[in-house]
Amino acid sequence: MGWLWLRWSWRDLRSRWVQVTAIAFIIALGSGTYSGLTSTSEWRRRSYDASYARLRMYDLRVSLAAGSFVDTAALSAVGTELESAGTLRSSAVQLVGPIQVDASQRGRTILVPGRVVGVEPVRNGPTVSTLSITAGRGLRPTDSARPVAVLDEHFGKRRNVGPGDRIRVSGKVGLTVVGRGVSPEHFILLGDAGTFTTEANFALTFVPIGTAGELLGQPGRANALAVRTRPGVSVTQARRALSDAFAAGFPDVGVTITARAADPGYRLLYDDIEGDQRLYNIFAVLILLGAAFAAFNLTTRIVEAQRREIGIGMALGVPSRRLAVRPVLVGMQIAALGAGLGVVVGLGVGSLMIQVLRSYFPLPVWRQDFQLGIFLRGAALGIALPFVATLVPVWRAVRVAPIDAIRTGVVTKRGRGLGWLAKIRLPGRSVTALPVRNVFRQLRRTVMTALGVAASIAVLLGVVGMLDSFRATIDHASKELGRSAPNRLAVTLATFDLETSSAVTTTRASPLIRRSQTELQLPGSVRRAGVKPIDLLVTISDLQSPIWHPTIHERVRGDGVVLTEKAADDLGVRPGDRVLLRLPYREGLTSYRYVEQAVPVIGLSAMPLRSLAWMDRRVGDSLTNLAGITNFVVVEPKAGVRTEEVQRALFGVSGVSSVQLVTDFADSLQKELDRAVGILLIVEGAVLLLALLIAFNAASISADDRARENATMFAFGYPLRSVVAMEIGESLLVGIIGTAVGLLGGWLLLDWLVTELLPTTLPDLQIVTALSGQTLLIAVLLGVLAVALAPLLTVRKLRRMDVPSTLRVVE
Amino acid sequence: MSLIELRGASRTYQIGERRVTALEAVDLTVDVGEFVVVLGPSGCGKTTLLNLVGALDVASEGEVTVAGHHIVGASRGELSRFRRETVSFVFQTFNLFQALTAIENVQFGVDVTGRHREEPDRAMTVLERVGLQDRAHHFPHQLSGGEQQRVAIARALATGNPVLLADEPTGELDFRTGVQILELLHEQAHVGVTVIIVTHNREIARVADRVVELGSGRVTADGPPVGGQVPINELRW
Ligand SMILES: Nc1ncnc2c1ncn2[C@@H]1O[C@H](COP(=O)(O)OP(=O)(O)O)[C@@H](O)[C@H]1O
Ligand SMILES: [Mg+2]
Repeated sequence: MGWLWLRWSWRDLRSRWVQVTAIAFIIALGSGTYSGLTSTSEWRRRSYDASYARLRMYDLRVSLAAGSFVDTAALSAVGTELESAGTLRSSAVQLVGPIQVDASQRGRTILVPGRVVGVEPVRNGPTVSTLSITAGRGLRPTDSARPVAVLDEHFGKRRNVGPGDRIRVSGKVGLTVVGRGVSPEHFILLGDAGTFTTEANFALTFVPIGTAGELLGQPGRANALAVRTRPGVSVTQARRALSDAFAAGFPDVGVTITARAADPGYRLLYDDIEGDQRLYNIFAVLILLGAAFAAFNLTTRIVEAQRREIGIGMALGVPSRRLAVRPVLVGMQIAALGAGLGVVVGLGVGSLMIQVLRSYFPLPVWRQDFQLGIFLRGAALGIALPFVATLVPVWRAVRVAPIDAIRTGVVTKRGRGLGWLAKIRLPGRSVTALPVRNVFRQLRRTVMTALGVAASIAVLLGVVGMLDSFRATIDHASKELGRSAPNRLAVTLATFDLETSSAVTTTRASPLIRRSQTELQLPGSVRRAGVKPIDLLVTISDLQSPIWHPTIHERVRGDGVVLTEKAADDLGVRPGDRVLLRLPYREGLTSYRYVEQAVPVIGLSAMPLRSLAWMDRRVGDSLTNLAGITNFVVVEPKAGVRTEEVQRALFGVSGVSSVQLVTDFADSLQKELDRAVGILLIVEGAVLLLALLIAFNAASISADDRARENATMFAFGYPLRSVVAMEIGESLLVGIIGTAVGLLGGWLLLDWLVTELLPTTLPDLQIVTALSGQTLLIAVLLGVLAVALAPLLTVRKLRRMDVPSTLRVVE
Repeated sequence: MSLIELRGASRTYQIGERRVTALEAVDLTVDVGEFVVVLGPSGCGKTTLLNLVGALDVASEGEVTVAGHHIVGASRGELSRFRRETVSFVFQTFNLFQALTAIENVQFGVDVTGRHREEPDRAMTVLERVGLQDRAHHFPHQLSGGEQQRVAIARALATGNPVLLADEPTGELDFRTGVQILELLHEQAHVGVTVIIVTHNREIARVADRVVELGSGRVTADGPPVGGQVPINELRW
C-alpha cells in the first residue's frame, strides 16, 4: 500500500488537528465516562469487601429485646464458650442505647440525639466490629470506665468535633473525645427502624463498655453480642448454636440474631451499588450516544471534504478499497487518540468518584483496581465509534460515480430539498436567509449536531432534574410538616414510659412550653397477603391534634391506620381495604411481643416517606395494649421562646433521649442530598464538556466548509463581524433545535428515572418528577447560548484567512 | 487623474527559504470606463495584479491607488470598506452562495454596499440585464456554468461599484457561453464601469480597448490589441 497513503492521511490529520483533537476528546469523554461509570460497581464491591474484612465485621449479631440487659460477664461467657466449642472465632459484647449529645463547641450549639455504643476497650479493638480510627486515637484498656469517647467520623467531620473536644451526654456526663472513627456496623449511618437519620444530626459515640453502663444507667450490663464464626462453620450452624445458648443462658430475654448479610447498613451499601450502577449505566450510554453522534458527524465532514479527491482517484482507476484507506486511516488515528485519552478520562472519572464516595462513606479501604476488561471494552467502543463513523461516509463516497464526485457544485449535493425553502421569504437582507438555508441545506449534518447537543442536554436534565425532584419532594414534606406549629419539637424518650412518669411530666411542665402532647412511635411493618411487607414507623397520636396532625386524603369512616400514598400504592390497597399490621404488643410490665392484626386503612397521607403511618390513640392503644404509655412527646414552645432554649432545658431532663426540631428532618435531609450529588456532578461536568466540544467542533468545521463562501463575502467587503453573526445565527438554530429535542428527551428520561428507576433503588421515597426553573435555564443557556456563541471561537481563524488563496482553490 | 494607478507595485511571497516574486515593479494606470484585458501565461501574476487592485491583497512594495484610496498601508477595516464601495469581483469558479437563489445572490450585491437599498427591484432589474429573469428562483446547482457566471456578474453589477474585476471569467465555460459573458462585461464599460478582465487567452484580448501583457510578474506590453480591436462576434477560440 505504500507509505504515501499513511503520510497523506497524516497530513490530513495535521491540517485539521484542532478538529481531530476535539473529536478525539469527544470520543475520550464518551468512552472514558462510559468505562469510568460502568466500572464503579466492581471497585465499590471490592472496597466494601476489603473494608469489612479489615474491620472484622460481625458474621452474626445478637441483640437483646429493647429494654433488656444482662450481665456483661454472663453475656461475654456465652461467646467464650462457643469459641472454645469451636463454633466462633471471636466475640465481643456491646452495650448500645440511645443518648442525647450536647456537642456544643465554642459558641456553636450542637444538641443532637445519638447512640452510645459501649465496647470492650481492647487495643486495636474490638475484636469483632473493630473501630477504624480516622483521627486521634482509639479506646485502650486503660480507658476502661473512664469518660472518654471515640466519635463517629460521619458526625465528627460534619460538625467539626474531634480529638480534644468535650461533649456532654444525656444531661450531665462530660466525655472527652479522644478520637474519631468508624465501625463496620456503621459505615452508613442509619437511625432507628423507619426513621431518617442524617450525619450531622446523629452522634454515634463509642465508649468503653463500663462508661456506657454509667451513661445508660445500666452499670455492668450489656445488650448485644457480635460474633465471627470460625472458618468452616456455616452461619446457619452458628446461629443455631447462639440461639440455643441464649435460650439456655437467658430464658426470659427475647433476642434477635442478625446475620451480616441482613445488617441494614451492610445491605444498603451493597444494594446501593446495584441501583447506582443502573443509573450510571444509563448516563454512560447516553453520553456515549451523544459522543457517537458528534463523532459520526465530524468524521463525515472530514470525509466529505475529501470527496473530490476520492472522485479523482476513482477517475484515475484507483480501486475503491485503496481510496478508502486514507479516510479510514484518519479515522483510525482519531480512534487511537480517542481511546488512549479515553482511558485517562475513565481513570479520572473513577478517581473523582472514589473521592466523592470516600467523603461520603469513610471506609478504611478504597481501592480502585484498574479493571482491564471494562477499560478494554471502553477502548473498543472508543475505537469502533470513529471507525464506523468514517466507514459509513467513506462507503457512501466511493459509491458515487466519479463524474459526480469531481463536478463542482454537486460535490456535496448541495441544495437538495431546498426548493421549498426558496419559497419562504425572509424579511430583511439576503444574508438573513443564509443561516436558515444552511441549516436545512445539510439536514443530516444539522440533525447529527443537534442530536449530539440534545443527548447532552437530555443527560443534564436527567441528572439535575433528579436532584430537583428530590428537592421538590423534600420541600413537599417540609411544607406538610410545617403546616402548623412549625417550631414544635419532638422529644424522644429513652424507653417506653408511663405518661405520669417524671420524664414526661417534667417535660410537659416546662415553663417554656405552650402546649404538648404525648404520642407513641412504634416500629412495625405492614403487608397484604402475598405482598412483601413494608417497614413502618407508626405514630400513635391524636389525629385531630391542634398542634399538628397529618393531612389525610380519601378519609373513610371508621377506625384504622393512615398510610402514605406510596405505601398504599406499593401494597395495592385503597382506603377501606384491610392490611396486616405488625406492631409490638405489651404483655408484661416491660415485655413486648410482635403481633400481626388486620386493620383497615382509613386514609392516605401525601408524605413522601413510605415508612410513615399514623393511628389514632384510641385505636392504637387497643392494638398495642400501650394505653397510658408513651415514648414520644411533641412540644410547642411559647411565643418568643427560641427552640434552642427549649432544647437546652429538656436536654437535662432524665429519661429524655433527644429533642429535635421536627422540621430539622427535612433540612438535614436536604443537606445530605446536596452532599450526595457529588457523583452526579461528575456526570454533569462530563456532559457540559461534551456539549461545549460538540458546539465548538460544529462551529469549527462549518467555518472550514464555508471558507470559500466566507472568502467571497470578504471579497465583497462584507465585514468580519457580519460573517460571524451569520455563523452565530446558524449555530443558534442548531442549538435551538438540539435544545428543544434535548429538553423533550430529557423530560422523558427524567420521568422514567423518577417513576421507574428510583422506586427500585429508593423504595422508601415517593419522588415526584420536578424540574426547577434554574435547571431549565442552565439547559437552555448551555444548549442555545453556548452552542450559538461557539462560532466566536473561530473568529481568529476567519481573521487570519488568506482570502486570495481561499478564493483561488478550485474545489 | 486616473481611476486606478499602480506605481512600482511588487508582490513577493516567502515560501520557507525561497522568495517568490509574483509581481515586480508594475506601473499601470487605468481610466474611468476603460475595458482592460490583462493577458499572460499561467503563473505570470495576473491574479495577483487583480487582487492588488481589488484590495484583496496588498503590495509588498510600491503604491496602489484606486478611486483616490491608497491601498497600501490601509487598515483591514478600510480595505473591507473599500471593497464594499469601490470594487466588485467576478471569479473563474463563480463562487455563488449555494444556499441562495439567483435573485438572492444578486440581492447580496445590493445589500452589501447598501447604496441601492431603497430600490426594491434593483436585483431583478440587474438580473434582467444579464437575461436571467426566468431563473431568478433557481439555486446555483440548478443553473448551467454560463448561467451561474451571469448571476455572478449580476451580483457584481448590483453593487453599483465603479470598478469590476473579473479573473478568468470564461475559464470554466465553452466558447459560445464565454463570448456571451464577454459581451456582457464589455457592455458594462459602455455604461461607465471600469472593467478589468484577466485571461490567458490571447483571442479574448482582441476585443479589449487595451491589453496589458504580463510576463514573469512584469508588464511586457501595454496598448491596443495586437492586430487591432475586433467586434466580439468575430472571436474564435
Ligand atoms: N499565496 C501564494 N503563496 C505563494 N506563491 C504564490 C501565492 N499566490 C501566488 N503565488 C505565486 O505567484 C505567482 C503568480 O501567481 P498568479 O498571480 O496566481 O498567476 P496567474 O494568475 O497569472 O496564473 C505564481 O508563481 C504563484 O505560484
Ligand atoms: Mg490566475
